[in-house]
Amino acid sequence: MEIEDKQIDAEDISALIKKQGRRWDNLKVSISVFMANKTAVAGLLIFLVFIADALIVQFFPQIIGIKSPNLLVPNFMDPVPLPPSPQHPLGTTYPGIDLLDGIVKAIRIDLAYSFFVVAVGASVGAIVGIISAWAGGIWDEIVMRLTDIVFSIPYLILALAVGFILGRSLWHMSIALALTWWPLYARYARSQTLSAKELTYIEAAKAGGVSSTKIMFKHILPNVLPPIFIQISLDLGSIVVIFSTLAFIGFIPNANIPELGYLTSLGLNYVQTAPWAVLFPGLVITIFALAVNLLGDGLRDVIDPRRRS
Amino acid sequence: MSAILQVRELKQQFYTRQGIYKALNGIELTLNKGEVFGIAGESGSGKSTLGLTIMGLLPRNASVLAGSVLFDGIDVVAPIREYASKSDHKFSFRKNERIIKKLNKDLAGVRGKKISMVFQDPMTSLNPVLEVGYQIAETMVFHQPNVLAMRRLARAKARRADLEEAIRVIKSTQGNEIAIERFFEEKGLKGLEEQVLSIWRRPDLSDARKEKMILSLHSERLGAFESKVLRMVQEKGSTQGWFFKLPFISRFARSALLKEGYRKAVELLSALEIPNAEKIVRMHPHELSGGMRQRVVIAIALANNPEVVIMDEPTSALDVTVQAQILDLVKHLKTKFNTSFIFISHDLSVLAEVCDRIGIMYGGRLVEVAKTKELFESPAHPYTKMLIAAIPTLEEKEIQVIGGSVPDMRFPPSGCMFHPRCPYAMDICRQMAPDMIDVSEGHGAACFLYGQKRASE
Amino acid sequence: MKLWAYIARRLLLFIPTLIGLTFIVFVLSHAGGNNLVLAEYINPRLTGEARALLIQKLTDEFHLNQPLYIQYFYWLYQVLQGNWGFTNTPIFSGSVITAIDLFFPNTAMITVVASILIWVIGIPLGVYSAVNRDSATDQVLRVGSFTLYAMPIYLIAVALILALGVYLKLIPFAGVVNPIFVSNLPWYNSGISYPTHVLLIDSILHGDWIVAWDAFLHLILPSLTLALAIVASIIRILRASMLEVLEQDYIRLAWSKGIAAKLVYNLHARKNALLPVLTLYGLTVAGLLGGAVVVETVFSYPGIGYWTTQALLNNDVGGIMASTLLFGLILVTANLVLDILYAFVDPRIRY
Repeated sequence: MEIEDKQIDAEDISALIKKQGRRWDNLKVSISVFMANKTAVAGLLIFLVFIADALIVQFFPQIIGIKSPNLLVPNFMDPVPLPPSPQHPLGTTYPGIDLLDGIVKAIRIDLAYSFFVVAVGASVGAIVGIISAWAGGIWDEIVMRLTDIVFSIPYLILALAVGFILGRSLWHMSIALALTWWPLYARYARSQTLSAKELTYIEAAKAGGVSSTKIMFKHILPNVLPPIFIQISLDLGSIVVIFSTLAFIGFIPNANIPELGYLTSLGLNYVQTAPWAVLFPGLVITIFALAVNLLGDGLRDVIDPRRRS
Repeated sequence: MSAILQVRELKQQFYTRQGIYKALNGIELTLNKGEVFGIAGESGSGKSTLGLTIMGLLPRNASVLAGSVLFDGIDVVAPIREYASKSDHKFSFRKNERIIKKLNKDLAGVRGKKISMVFQDPMTSLNPVLEVGYQIAETMVFHQPNVLAMRRLARAKARRADLEEAIRVIKSTQGNEIAIERFFEEKGLKGLEEQVLSIWRRPDLSDARKEKMILSLHSERLGAFESKVLRMVQEKGSTQGWFFKLPFISRFARSALLKEGYRKAVELLSALEIPNAEKIVRMHPHELSGGMRQRVVIAIALANNPEVVIMDEPTSALDVTVQAQILDLVKHLKTKFNTSFIFISHDLSVLAEVCDRIGIMYGGRLVEVAKTKELFESPAHPYTKMLIAAIPTLEEKEIQVIGGSVPDMRFPPSGCMFHPRCPYAMDICRQMAPDMIDVSEGHGAACFLYGQKRASE
Repeated sequence: MKLWAYIARRLLLFIPTLIGLTFIVFVLSHAGGNNLVLAEYINPRLTGEARALLIQKLTDEFHLNQPLYIQYFYWLYQVLQGNWGFTNTPIFSGSVITAIDLFFPNTAMITVVASILIWVIGIPLGVYSAVNRDSATDQVLRVGSFTLYAMPIYLIAVALILALGVYLKLIPFAGVVNPIFVSNLPWYNSGISYPTHVLLIDSILHGDWIVAWDAFLHLILPSLTLALAIVASIIRILRASMLEVLEQDYIRLAWSKGIAAKLVYNLHARKNALLPVLTLYGLTVAGLLGGAVVVETVFSYPGIGYWTTQALLNNDVGGIMASTLLFGLILVTANLVLDILYAFVDPRIRY
């Protein structure tokens, strides 16, 4: 590109940088790239089904005949798990809980709490990470050391311990997960910000005299936020899985709560005679995690120009 | 002068998400034995691609539309070209990749042995986790294990008296190669001559030390088993066959040959004027400077004395002193072994030093080919003229800049590639691409200024 | 020379990490208030006056009346002395150190076996997947590892139980050994075998092949579950890394040398491709440890993980805190070992 001999000022540089920086602004192109990816679309659809389930149970439970959305309905007359039948399309699990009923309710609970964990943990973590990388110096060091300490304990165990101290309930479990999740995001956001900082066109902007905060908002954030957002969507699947794993090993005492991991654990003793009791809830989680991963991968293809070619 | 490599009407393209990149658009090239053929051009002219295509080192998104590369009785690009013509619109990278893999297998006997390549960037050309000595030795173990075996056996057989006599011969003939070769051959110690001569020629050692080292080459103990294995390798000429596939034997033979390969690597590096080669061969690439790395790459390319060496900008990343050494090396090899070179560079002055003939590339085509002297004295093609005029010289003159830029090969210009930048462009240049027209004996230019021959479509 | 400097530096970094780890466990264990702390250190078998005396003694020893930062040092002192508190769970009740001594070998056994499986299965498949890109096998592997990655560990465990244990009736899936075999052995007592506490090894040491075989069978499913849970990510990472390596200039040079394709892939490419995998292996170890908790619970395999869940279910704060500290120690040590190992493997770090 030939640069003509004229005065180039900060605004021109900003505009030039913007043009090079945000290739995904072209919404139409992005959507068509995404739609071309069949698996990503499938993921999106399944994800939407799950969301729909959660929303319906939340706002219109009567439509599908759900009476107590926050409780499981045991049937002690018939505690042994029954195979799928017209009254119980997915069968029942111990003690006599209808699986379809349980799963539909559980999806809402799992999704709600996991969204919370991801939203709070990821956003707090990301903010901390971005600021830490941008500010540098001693704050950065402190954040780094803090995250190092948290990483020295395996995630599941740390969440278990923190949750235990807070109290063994569903709510406290989510808080514990969020508390142990944010360092991961702080680290991730920090490294993204650092590499964005290194990009040569930021140097150019600085040389052009664009102010520090302006650089941060106009140039760094648009480059850093999308990958973080993608990571969040991918991690949603992981969080649901970890959440259900904690419930599975019995984090919540005397639980009668619809939760997919917990439902799975109920059928564990009957795995030989009633495999559906363990398989169905477990499969539902797997399908959700799969869908979210496919969706995240599809989004990543759209946003990361490198993967496009 | 006999032709050793022939490229006929080579048309090649790359499929990318941004479009089809037409890299080569009809290359005609003949390389003669013992000749240094230079290829000059700006970045984007396709010169590197030409080198890679001749070697058959193409990525899976590359396709050869037409043409052939004839070397050693094989058409290197035939399989890729055939697939391209069969597949039409349904070009599948996966199938192309399979064809390329098969091509790799078929060319394995030729690559590294009869034709080799020196790549452009020494920083990335060497494997970072392997010792440089290994990377050199590997190619020799693969292609000439018998030579390595022979050397080792010769050292075992030689006696001190033989070597003392050898030193006398060297001194009296002042290191005459032929005399020394004959000497060792008569003694039945073939394989020792290159070892002795390599030591003798090293500039980083004193004479006394050299003598000591030569004398130490005698009676190197060889276990009976090792000796047997090496003898088998020497007789068979290679490590093929069921015997060498046995697990213990293959390991054993390989490690014995590699050891010898390392020794020869030391000799090669010393010949390339790297001091302390014994230490260097045990190092990893990141411990060496750019110049040293490039010399390692050259050592790898030359290790098996190939007939053709393609050098892709071998000096661009290096300083001038190293550059001079490499050019000297090229000249030396040409004289001694009659090796043919294809020397690719954007620097015409470098090419002027060392090439017999030079071809100018533009837009994926050769626009002028001539003997070096003639090219500089009477350039025919307008592009060549401008390239030459743009070379900074000691005389005071205005630096001529060629206006415009290299065309985007996704959308090449119609007719003659150069017409948008050519001061002599005529109507016909816009419409049709010129064929190579003989301006004089052995001097061709693809330009309508010299005639109206049109390119056959 | 620089290699030793690197190792020394890394060892030095080990100490602050340890301090950080202990500090966080300290904060956790004291966040519940003094009573919780006391609960950790009281031998559950003491009652009445002896108990009251002990409470007084502990309050002094740990300086529970002092501000937190002082308490940390006294607590740390106790930990370094080997007093990690008491645990009170159905499977074991007593000092934590004893619990660790009894249960840790089993966990070590399954995690080590799982690691071996991961490498033996994961690396060849990852390399194959990249070398034969987009082939049928590659597609199957990609779908398979994608699915495995999405499955929670307990589901993998259950699936394996159903497939191998129930339908094919091949392998047992509960406990360490069939009780029939061990009812009369002198070196086996109420679930604990001597001297190494790993039944497989002990039975081999004692020459009892029947028990050894049974122990081996019981070992398969837990280890396999752990391995499958992790191997999915290994295959994905290795595949991506290998693909990137194959694009490099030095691979092109290797092809130009005319050497055998197997050599190019397995020596030139694979060695480079494994480096990022090794870097990320620390995360793998974390996953293995967390996974061990679930796996041991599902298979009733008496290891640290099983003890942890038992502690959780029985509100045994001593058990939870001690196991957190233990897992942290294992992870930090593993990361140290891995970092040092990496220095040996990547020549660029060394010099």
